[in-house]
Parts: sequence; structure tokens; C-alpha cells
Amino acid sequence: ATLCFQAFLQMCNLPIQVVCRANAEYMSPSGKLPFIHVGNQVVSELGPIVQFVKAKGHSLSDGLDEVQKAEMKAYMELVNNMLLTAELYLQWCDDVTVEEITHPRYGSPYPWPLNRILSYQKQWEVRRKMKAIGWAGKTLEQVLEDVDQCCQALSQRLGTQPYFFNKQPTELDALVFGHLFTILTTQLTTDELSEKVKNYSNLTAFCRRIEQQYFEGHDKDSSATAAARSAKRSLLR
Amino acid sequence: PLEDVPVLISEDIVISQPAKILNFLRKQKYNADYDLSAKQGADTLAYIALLEEKLLPALLHTFWVEAENYCSVTKPWFASRIAFPLSLYLPGKMSRKVLNRILLTRGGPPLYSLTEVEAQIYRDAKECLNLLSKRLGTSQFFFGDTPTTLDAFVFGFLAPIYKVCFPRVQLQEHLKQLPNLCRFCDDILTCYFRLTVSGHSPAGQDTADANLQKLTQLVNKESNLIEKMDDNLRKSPQHPPRKLTTLKLAAGGEESSPLNRLSP
Repeated sequence: ATLCFQAFLQMCNLPIQVVCRANAEYMSPSGKLPFIHVGNQVVSELGPIVQFVKAKGHSLSDGLDEVQKAEMKAYMELVNNMLLTAELYLQWCDDVTVEEITHPRYGSPYPWPLNRILSYQKQWEVRRKMKAIGWAGKTLEQVLEDVDQCCQALSQRLGTQPYFFNKQPTELDALVFGHLFTILTTQLTTDELSEKVKNYSNLTAFCRRIEQQYFEGHDKDSSATAAARSAKRSLLR
Repeated sequence: PLEDVPVLISEDIVISQPAKILNFLRKQKYNADYDLSAKQGADTLAYIALLEEKLLPALLHTFWVEAENYCSVTKPWFASRIAFPLSLYLPGKMSRKVLNRILLTRGGPPLYSLTEVEAQIYRDAKECLNLLSKRLGTSQFFFGDTPTTLDAFVFGFLAPIYKVCFPRVQLQEHLKQLPNLCRFCDDILTCYFRLTVSGHSPAGQDTADANLQKLTQLVNKESNLIEKMDDNLRKSPQHPPRKLTTLKLAAGGEESSPLNRLSP
């Protein structure tokens, strides 16, 4: 999500500085990442940030008509519903990944036993949520199948266009880029998730194009490492 | 299965959950999305996600958590269809499950109290209804002139809001301000729900009564017809009485099958 939002701000041509903090979740007013700190205002989560930016006069979806805006919102929900939940599932409900990657990473800023306690607490919270929406009973194969279906839908919608709504990038492009880039570049115990995305060549081309246009245009080294660091940070949520 | 609705029972196979039911029907060659392009198929998935994320919490809340609605409509309605003693326990369990789900998925900070969460989910639901209305525009169905899976999903979500008579009806009032969505629901109701009564009939008791009336009329018509034929047969003695019995049996068969369809 951090990356989605970075991409979004780059697309709006607004300069930003990414800072990594261990207590980021506590600094955020809603407890959720990402959040921005502008002057003396702090705004968190992608939806409110988009609205905040819009209120300041920058918006990516002004050129869309009502039906397209409805479509865009629908696709954003699809991405949130499927990809985000699948990412959370993989991080916190798949035992292998949890043991080898998530627990060490999440607890790394803290000393023992705090690191174990906090990561177990987070795991319990996420599992409760999964149970409430009915994902707890799903196997890894089913989750991967859902991700595949979602990617197929995105791929079909994108087609051969450069962005989802043809020539101009919108919030949806930023959101999709953030999630797909994270999936493609983060090291997990298996490559199955990134393989699912790689099956769709127009999606990988889409990610590459946005990366080149918005992240490599600036300071090459720092933005690439910042993007990589924030990609890892977004997995820590 | 005890808790999961909707449930499809086909010969010996029992399937629950909408996605699995749809897959099963597709394999049996029942597919409403045959004529859709790949992009339209993708749109379907996206809109369904939108419905589940934005409209479903408010819908569930209206049915199961809103105290007046739950006590006066939902609980008696469900309890009447479930065998005792489960009817005492299951509705309460479903209500708690729904509240849990809403709080877990929508109830994080900065929304700290239930009333704030409720306000947010109803705002989202109204926005979702507006979006659907814009998408539907003036066409009859979401993808042109023939209904598709998306139309079925949208109808499934909208019809309960539109038709069930609740004491607290803020969503219904909002929906009534969107005439194209109301027209959409009415169209589907008249085309596809004339005589059959499903376990989740959107208008509940009203539809059941209306259907009973129609059935009674049908039966009356048939019995009138039988009486007339009886008269004719009596007047013309060369027709053997055997035919009379066959007629009665056929009429009896027809009568019993609609009755079977009525029972849950």
C-alpha cells in the first residue's frame, strides 16, 4: 500500500520523501499505513489521502465520466478485496511463510520477548478477520486461484492499453502497480504468487512501464532502494 | 447443511456458497455470461467485489443487527423456516456472526463506536447504490438487453432492500430515489419470479400469499374445467367412463406438483 500511494503521488507530480519508522503504525491516526505528514496535518490510508490531495487541487480521475468513475471504484474494490486479502493471508495464515519470514520481520525492531508477543498478537488479529470474512477455511491453492482470477480480470481490462483508462494514469493504476510490484519483487518461501502474476505479460509490462516512468526518472539509486525498502515495509503491515 | 445459505441441492449433490453454485451450474452448461466479452467478464468480477465490500455490510446490518428490524421481521421469518429447537438458537448466532464481521472488517480506528461504524457503512452503501445507478443508466440490464450473472447478483442484493417491509428503512428510501434501479428490480421480479417461490423470496410473506392466491385460482380454473368436462361426458353417454378417471388423475397430478414447489 505504501508503494501504491507513492506511485499515486509521483503520478500527481508531487514531491515526497519516504521515511522508515518502526512505530509507523502508532504514528498513524488510524493505526493503518500508509500515512502522510504535510505541514501540520497527518492523513492516513489511501482513500482519505486521495481525497486530501484532491482537495488541494490534484486529481488523476477528473477526465473520467461518471460510468468510468464507477468502474474505477469497482476495480479498486476488486483489488482490495482479492489482492490485499490474499497478501494478508499469505503473510499471516500460511504457516511456513509466517514462521520463516513474517515473524522475524515484524518483530525485528523489538527485543525478545516483545517481538514474539507483538507478532503473535498481529497474527491472531489477522486470523480473526480472515475467519469473519470466510477466508480462514481456504487452502493456499484456493487463495492462489483467486489471485489468478483477479489478475485475469485486470489483464483483460487492461488489454493493450498503456493504463487502465487509456492514456492517463489514475488512482487505479497506482493501486494495481503498488500491489503487483510488491508481489513480483518480494522474496517469499515460494514463487507461486509471483508466478501467477507473471503469467500475464501485459501486467508485468504495465509494472515495468510505471516503474520506469515514475521511479527511475528521479534519482536512480535512492528511489529504487526507497521503493525496494518500502516494498518490504508494506509487507510488514 | 445447517447454517450455510444459499444451498443448491441437485439429485444427491449439495453445494453451498454462491461461487461454488455458479461453477456447478456452468459445468452443467447453464451460463448467463456466454455472450459477454472478456472485458465485460472482468467488469462483472469487479462490480461483484464492489457490492460485497460496500453494500453487503449495510445490507447485513439492516437485516441482522438493527434491533427493530431484527426483532420484528428477520428473526420470526427465519425462525418460521427452521425446525424447533434450532429456531431459537440459529437466528441469534447469525446475528452475532454478522455483527462480528462488520466490526472486524470495518470497525478499526478512527471509528471507535458502533454508531460511527454504522454511519460509515451506510454512507458506503449509499455511494455504492449511486454508482450502480450511474452504471446502469437507461439500459435494461447491466450489459445490454439480456441478463447476466452481474444482474443476478445485483438483483440479489437490491431486492431485499427494495421489497422487504422493515420498520427502519434508510437504505430503502435511498434506493427509491434511484428510479432506474427500482425499475430494474421490478423488471426481474415480473419476468422471473411470477409463480415460483424460493426459500429467500424477497417480498417474503407477500409473495407467498400472492402465489397461493394464483395457485388457488389455477386450481379453481382446473376444477371448473373438470366440471364442464364432466357435464359434457354425462350428456354424451357414448364416451366410456374410463376417460373421466384419467382426467381426474391428470388434474390431481398437476395440482400436487405446484404444491410441492411451494413447500420450502
